[in-house]
Amino acid sequence: MSVFIKDVLQNCLCRPRVARKIMFFRLLRLVLIAALVVSAPPSFDALAQALGQGAAGLVTDQQKVIQSLTAKTDDLEKKIQQDGQDDATLVEIRLQLEDLSRAALTSALAFRSRLGDINDRIETLGPPPAAGQPAEPDIVTGERQALASEKAEINAVIASAQNLSIRISGLIEKIGNMRSELFRNQLTKRYVLSDALSPEVISDANDEFTSFYKAVSSWLSFAFKFKFQAILAATLMALALAAVLFVGGRRLFGRVFEADPSIEDPSYLSRLSVAFWSTLLPSLAVGAFLISTVFFFNYYNVLRGDIGIFLNSLVAVIAVVFCVNRLTNAALEPRLPNWRLIPVETGPARWLVRLTTAMAVAIGINYFLSVVNDKMGSPLSLTIARSFVATISVGVILILMGLLKPFKAADGSWRPWPAWLRYTAVALGLFTIASALLGFIGLAIFVSVQVVVTGTILVTAYIGFLSARAIGEEGGFANTSIGRWLAANSSYEETALDQLGLVVSAAINIMIVLVFLPLILLMWGFQPGDIQAWAYKLATGLTIGSVTISVTGILTGVVVFIIGYFLTRWFQGWLDGSVMARGRVDTGVRNSIRLAVGYAGVAVAALVGISAAGIDLSNLALVAGALSLGIGFGLQNVVSNFVSGLILLAERPFKVGDWIVAGDISGTVKKISVRATEIETFQRQSVILPNSNLINNAVGNWTHRNKLGRIDIKVGVAYGSDIKHVHGVLLEIARSHPLVLKNPEPFVLFSNFGPAALEFEIRVFLADVLSGNIVQNDIRFAIFDVFADQHIEIPSTPRAVVETKKHEAWPIDDDKIEVEFAEREQAKALAAVEAKRLAKSARKVRKPDPD
Amino acid sequence: MWKSLVAAIAFLAVGGSAHAASAVNKDAETRTLIVTEGGGKTELALAAGETVEFCPSGCFVTLPNGDLEALTGSETIEISGGVARIK
Repeated sequence: MSVFIKDVLQNCLCRPRVARKIMFFRLLRLVLIAALVVSAPPSFDALAQALGQGAAGLVTDQQKVIQSLTAKTDDLEKKIQQDGQDDATLVEIRLQLEDLSRAALTSALAFRSRLGDINDRIETLGPPPAAGQPAEPDIVTGERQALASEKAEINAVIASAQNLSIRISGLIEKIGNMRSELFRNQLTKRYVLSDALSPEVISDANDEFTSFYKAVSSWLSFAFKFKFQAILAATLMALALAAVLFVGGRRLFGRVFEADPSIEDPSYLSRLSVAFWSTLLPSLAVGAFLISTVFFFNYYNVLRGDIGIFLNSLVAVIAVVFCVNRLTNAALEPRLPNWRLIPVETGPARWLVRLTTAMAVAIGINYFLSVVNDKMGSPLSLTIARSFVATISVGVILILMGLLKPFKAADGSWRPWPAWLRYTAVALGLFTIASALLGFIGLAIFVSVQVVVTGTILVTAYIGFLSARAIGEEGGFANTSIGRWLAANSSYEETALDQLGLVVSAAINIMIVLVFLPLILLMWGFQPGDIQAWAYKLATGLTIGSVTISVTGILTGVVVFIIGYFLTRWFQGWLDGSVMARGRVDTGVRNSIRLAVGYAGVAVAALVGISAAGIDLSNLALVAGALSLGIGFGLQNVVSNFVSGLILLAERPFKVGDWIVAGDISGTVKKISVRATEIETFQRQSVILPNSNLINNAVGNWTHRNKLGRIDIKVGVAYGSDIKHVHGVLLEIARSHPLVLKNPEPFVLFSNFGPAALEFEIRVFLADVLSGNIVQNDIRFAIFDVFADQHIEIPSTPRAVVETKKHEAWPIDDDKIEVEFAEREQAKALAAVEAKRLAKSARKVRKPDPD
Repeated sequence: MWKSLVAAIAFLAVGGSAHAASAVNKDAETRTLIVTEGGGKTELALAAGETVEFCPSGCFVTLPNGDLEALTGSETIEISGGVARIK
């Protein structure tokens, strides 16, 4: 198990490539064989011969490939021994070795089909006859022997590839050990300071300075004599580029990164963005200028010997010092207290800028001198002396920074940094000084360089994070220039802008992590190759046990699904809006088709997405099997609702907008989805009814085929009335209403000799049953008026009325009365406001609900 | 409902991520493969009817009949009658 886990990460990278290659070879072979069959059909022997020759060629080809791979491995092994002290070279060699290992495997793979053919043929020939059996023909024996010898050859070549791969794995392991050993050595090597810091150092330094001066001055005189025009041209071009960058950048972004002293209280976001951009843009401009200078000098061949290396390191040092200085200036703004990011006082801010710049300068000079030392081949004592000076100064600066009191309390006394920051700074400074004094110069240099560079990166990243957070705050994005532009030029609402702000802030966070994490890792001694390999691994698949997680795979799947989803939505809209609307398809059918297309599309998109994510669809069967038990029990209701939903879509017992009655619920259908149907009652309550209820129980639909419906109105008249006359009057009233249908005819039923009245029932049919309440009202009013007019009495059962008198108690508590009065007044005022609001938002008058 | 969904996704993730060569022994006796991977050789004993996943990313394997083969890590080896076939 562990054997293959260990190698998974290194070798999985090559798999797709190899597979593709094999496919290609197979195709090629197929085409070749087909061509042979077509062009030279005459004899099978010729074909076999051609194949045999091809196979022999294969063996020699692959032998050559493996020989060349072995030779390359030999070279690399020598290189490991020679350059074993250089970490970057070791990483590069490791990458090359991994490539070689893959190549060895690929070359061995080339034999697969030939080996298969040979095995098939041997099987066809059968085993050699045992003793006592009749001998077989010579040709069969010969072929068997030939096949066996070819197989042996192939096996020998594959074995050499295998041995090469084993050897390369060993070398890779060795490189890993060497690298950690190197790092340990660098940190733990102790130098004797008394030797290094003797007076001799001064004379050594003097010698070195003289020779450095000679080298530079001789180059300068050479350059001025012979290359003056080139130098002039290069400098001018670099200057011109810098001017373009500077002036153009200022023109374009000046508003963004220049603090405006007239603003009294700039928002934190604008302070952050000014700090961020005023660090980034000038640093980029200066970096571009320096790089272009070096580039043009190289281009005109001005540089000679070691001068190029000196210039490169000088340029790097200047860039770093500039960047650090810009950053601290931007974050602390010693001149503009309003624009300061960290609320320190002006004096300490100035000191902090000076100290950080000094630290960067110390580290930078040390780095530049180390390059000079390296190229000049100076004595070790000099190297130790300069590192000693640099580390001690960094340590002192760190302690000074930590002891600085940057804040002012309310009573005017100075307050130090928060404890954790103070102690960390002082501890790091003390550690650096102590390790330098004890002679662990390598460790001291490592720590001080890390403090400067990592600190700078962390502070920049922190400022970026803060601005991301400020953008993500409510209303933060709308206040940025992009947000204002969007608000002016697009139809985005405030909430949409807010959500966009969240997305932007998340994107900024991710970008910061992507940019700064590799930077910090680089600073902490990881090589670009390592980081690249990690990124590659993370993208192509990270194996934990036997589970492979591939970020790109998952992302591809998600992207494919999203594209599929939007395609489905678009298709749905097109089908519904263009095709079916013009085809005058019934709304119910339209709705069903739209939903079905939507669900099918999403399902297809999900399947395609899953397979694009690299998940084998054949495993779905397994999962379905495993889940079927769960579906049988736990998801029973969900599945039954789902199936019911499908039946509803196909059968269409009601459509959106119908008035249905299901059990106790009566209302308008708002939405039919696959699991449940949304019904809005006439009290405007949304009821989500599971579809299985609608399938398993009786559902009444008032508006299934048409909206025709009957309403009944009961009325009683007193005993002794002229009932024929009453009947005629009622019928006349029913007929005269405009909404009542002539056919089926209105009907008046003399329904009962009631205990107190003769009971009639008017039954009328309406074209739209939804307007039943209006008709009922109209008819009742009409009956009342006509009966009053014609002195027809509607009896009512008398009820006893008992009157009781209650005295209101005398008020006892004046305060209470006052409070109650105030409450009543307030309620009145609220009611008035509400009424006004309602009057304002008066909508189109709707007809009353049927029930 | 959510738990079932999560479980289903986990199932998919586990089920979908098995990318390795697999070996099936269809014989009634134990067969041995010798796998060379990352600088070491291991013997992989397959009991009767057993299926084993191995070599997720390229390796060399010595089959029961003595043949040496290179694998990319996506193949299936089927052993029947002492003869291994690569698919």
